[in-house]
Amino acid sequence: MTHNLPIPLSLLQPGDQGEVVQIQAQGQVRQRLLEMGFIRGARLRVEKLAPLGDPMELVIKGYHLSLRREESSCILVQPVA
Amino acid sequence: MTLTIALAGNPNCGKTTLFNALTGARHHVGNWPGVTVERRSGTFEHGGTTMEVVDLPGTYSLAARSEDERVAVQFLASPEVDLVLNVLDASNMERNLYLSTQLLELGKPVAFVLNMVDDAEDRGVRIDLPALELLLGGPVIPTVGNREQGIDELKTLLGQMARGESNRCRRIVVDYGHDIEGELAKLQKEICRDEQLEASMPPRWLALQLLENNVEAKRVVGESHASEAINQQLAKSFAFLEPHLGADGATLVAERRYGFAHGLVKEVASAPDDKKSPTAKLDAILTHRALGMPIFVGILALMYSLSFILGKIPQDWIADGFKALSTFASASLPAGELTSLLVDGVIPGVSAVIVFVPVIMILMGCIAFLEDTGYMARAAFIMDRLMHVMGLHGKSFIPLIMGSGCNVPAIQAARTIESPQDRLITMLVTPLVSCSARLQVYIVIAGTFFTPFKAALSIIAMHFLGLGLAVLMGRVLRSALFSGPSSPFVMELPPYRLPMLKATLIHMWEKGSVFLTRAGTTIFAGATLIWFLSRYPGIANREWTLEYQQQRQAVGALNLPTAESEERLKALQLAHESRIVNTSLAARLGQKVEPILRPILDPDHKRPEAWKDVIALTAGFVAKEIVVSTMAVIHQASEEPKEGERLSPLQVALRDGSGLTPLTALAFMVFTLIYTPCIGTIAMIRREAGSWRWAAFTVGYGLVLGWGLAWVTVAVGRAMGFA
Repeated sequence: MTHNLPIPLSLLQPGDQGEVVQIQAQGQVRQRLLEMGFIRGARLRVEKLAPLGDPMELVIKGYHLSLRREESSCILVQPVA
Repeated sequence: MTLTIALAGNPNCGKTTLFNALTGARHHVGNWPGVTVERRSGTFEHGGTTMEVVDLPGTYSLAARSEDERVAVQFLASPEVDLVLNVLDASNMERNLYLSTQLLELGKPVAFVLNMVDDAEDRGVRIDLPALELLLGGPVIPTVGNREQGIDELKTLLGQMARGESNRCRRIVVDYGHDIEGELAKLQKEICRDEQLEASMPPRWLALQLLENNVEAKRVVGESHASEAINQQLAKSFAFLEPHLGADGATLVAERRYGFAHGLVKEVASAPDDKKSPTAKLDAILTHRALGMPIFVGILALMYSLSFILGKIPQDWIADGFKALSTFASASLPAGELTSLLVDGVIPGVSAVIVFVPVIMILMGCIAFLEDTGYMARAAFIMDRLMHVMGLHGKSFIPLIMGSGCNVPAIQAARTIESPQDRLITMLVTPLVSCSARLQVYIVIAGTFFTPFKAALSIIAMHFLGLGLAVLMGRVLRSALFSGPSSPFVMELPPYRLPMLKATLIHMWEKGSVFLTRAGTTIFAGATLIWFLSRYPGIANREWTLEYQQQRQAVGALNLPTAESEERLKALQLAHESRIVNTSLAARLGQKVEPILRPILDPDHKRPEAWKDVIALTAGFVAKEIVVSTMAVIHQASEEPKEGERLSPLQVALRDGSGLTPLTALAFMVFTLIYTPCIGTIAMIRREAGSWRWAAFTVGYGLVLGWGLAWVTVAVGRAMGFA
C-alpha cells in the first residue's frame, strides 16, 4: 500500500511517472483531457519541460503530448515509483 | 453510380497524404459552408465506378465542440455519406481507436485503413489483421500512405463495396457495461418519442452524448417536444450512475471507450520494444533545454531567407515584367482615360496580385514541410511560454515573424493554429508587424530628414514598435473579444516523419492557386478603385490631355539628343500626372480630412499642403511601397537619385517643399506603419477570417491606433523640445 496522496501533475518532474486519479477541470477542458486519454488509472510519464519551463511534454497511452501548467495543474495523479 | 466516402481520422494519422494518394491531382479545395474550415474533396475511379472522397478535418473526437468537430459530425450524419473510411495510425492505435468507437456509433458502414504500418513495424509492433477486422467489424487495409503502398488494394476494396460485391461491414457495438447500457436504453426510449429527433441521428449516439454532458446534444434535445421527458430521464440516469460507479457521465463514457480500445489493442498487437525511437533521439536535441531555442531561431532564419530573399528573385522578375509592360503600353497608346486605366489601374493591379505568388508558395511550402515532419508542434512547444504571456499561442510565433517579410502570406500561415480564437487574434495583430514594403517608405522619409545614423535608428525603432504593438494588441483583443477562458493547450507531439516531396508540392500549389482565385479578385478590385480615386476627374479632362500631347510634340520637334529629349518627356509626364493627382477625388478627400490629420502631420499650421500626404496614404492602400511613387508624382520629383547625390529629387522636394519637420516626418512614419494594412492583407484577412467584418475591423482599429500613436509621437517630441 502506498501512503502517497494524489498530487497535481504539474508537480511531477521530468522522468517521474504517475497514474491519473481525477481531472478537476470542468467543461471543455475536462472533455478534451478525457478524450486524449486522461482516464482514471491511465499511466503517464513526464518526458521534459520546454526550454522556458512551460509547457511540459509527457507520454500517455503510448503517444507524446504537451500540456500547459494551467491544464496539468488540474489533473491529480498518484506518483508511481 | 457514385459512392461518397468520408475520410475520418485523428490529426497526424496521415489522412491527407492518403487522400492525395487516392485522388491524385483530381481534387478541389474549398471551405465548408459558413465556416473557415478547409474542405478537400476529390474523385477516383475503379473498375468503371467513380467514387467521391471527402477529407474531413482531423479530429480526436466527434464531440462537436470545435468548428472542426462540428463540420465532421454534421457531414458524417448527413445522408450524403455512404461509407466512412477511418484512417488509423498503426503506431498509435489506442488513442486513434477512441474516434473509431464514436464513428461506429454514428450508424454508417465503416471501413478501416491501418496507415503507416512501416512505423509500427520499426517499433517492433506486430498487428494481427484478421483479428482486428473481426473485432472492428469492418475490412482493414494496411497502407503506407507516403509510399503509396496498399493504395491499389484500398481502391479495389472501395470499388467492390460501391458495386455491392462485398459487404464486410458488420455493425459492432461498444459495450458500456450493464449499468450504463441500462440507462442508455431508457434514454433511447425517451428520445424515440420524438420521431424527428430519432430520424436526425442514431438515438444511441444522442443518448451517449447526453450522458457525456455534451452542450450541442442538449441544445438539440432542447428543441424537441420530448425534451422534458428526456431531461427527466437524464437526471435520473445521472443520479443512479454517479454514486454507483464513482464518476460523472463524461468520465464513465470515456473510460469505457478507452477500455474497448485498450482491450482491442492488447488482443491484436504486440507491445512495442523498448529501444529508443528515432523521434526520441531527435527530440533530445531539437527540444533540448539549451539547444532547442537556438535551433528554432536557425530554422526560422532559413525559412525567412528562402521566402523573402530567394522568393524576391522571381518577385522582381514579375515586377520588372509588369513595369516593362506598362511602360510599353503608355508609350505606344495615346494618352487618355483608357490608357491610364490600363497603365495605372489594371497592370499594377494584376501585378500586385501575382507578385505575391512566389513568396506565398515558398513560405507555405516551408510551413507544410515543418508540419508534415512534425517539427511545427515542437516549435509551438518551445515558444508557447513566451507567446502565452502575450495572449497568443505557441504557433502564433511563426506568422508574426514572417509578417516582417510580408503580411499577406503571414496571415495565411496562421492556418496552422487550431484554435479559432488564437488564429483570429494572430491574424488581427499580424498587420502591425512592419513589412518590407513599409521599409521602402521609411528609407525615403528617414533618409530625407535624419542623419544616416539616426535614420537607421528610427527604422529599427519602427520594427520594434510594430512587434511591441502586436503583442500589446494581442492582449487587449484577447480580453476585449473573448472574455471566456482561452481554449486548452493540449497538443500532440507526433513522431517525426520525412514528408514526400509530392505532398509538399501539392500543398504549395493549393495555397498559391487559392490565393490567386480568392484573394486575387479583391486585390484587383481594390487597386482599380484606388486608381479611380486618384485619377478622376482630371484624367477625363480633354483639354489637359490635349495640352500634354502638344507639349510632347513640341519637345519632339526640337530634335534634341535622345537622352535629353527623354528627360524632358519624363518631366512633362510627371507634371501632367501631378496635375491630375493633385486635383483628384483623393486630393479632395485629403482636403476634407486634413483637420483630422493636422495634429499629427501639421501641428504648427505651417503646411498649407498637408492634404497631399493623404493622397499618398490613400494610394498606399494598394501596397505600401506605392506611397513613395505617389509622392514622386505629387511633388513632381523623381524618386531615383541622380549620380553622385545622396538625396533623390523626391527627397530634396520633401525636405524643401513639403513642410515636414523631422518630428512630423517621424509621426508620418509611425502613421504609415499602423494606419491600415494593404489591400492584399485585407483580402487575406477577409478570406481567412471568413467575413468582411474582421477585415473592416482591422482597418478601423489601425486608423485609430495609428493616429493615436502619431499624436503621441508629436506631443512627446514637442515636450522634449524637438520640432
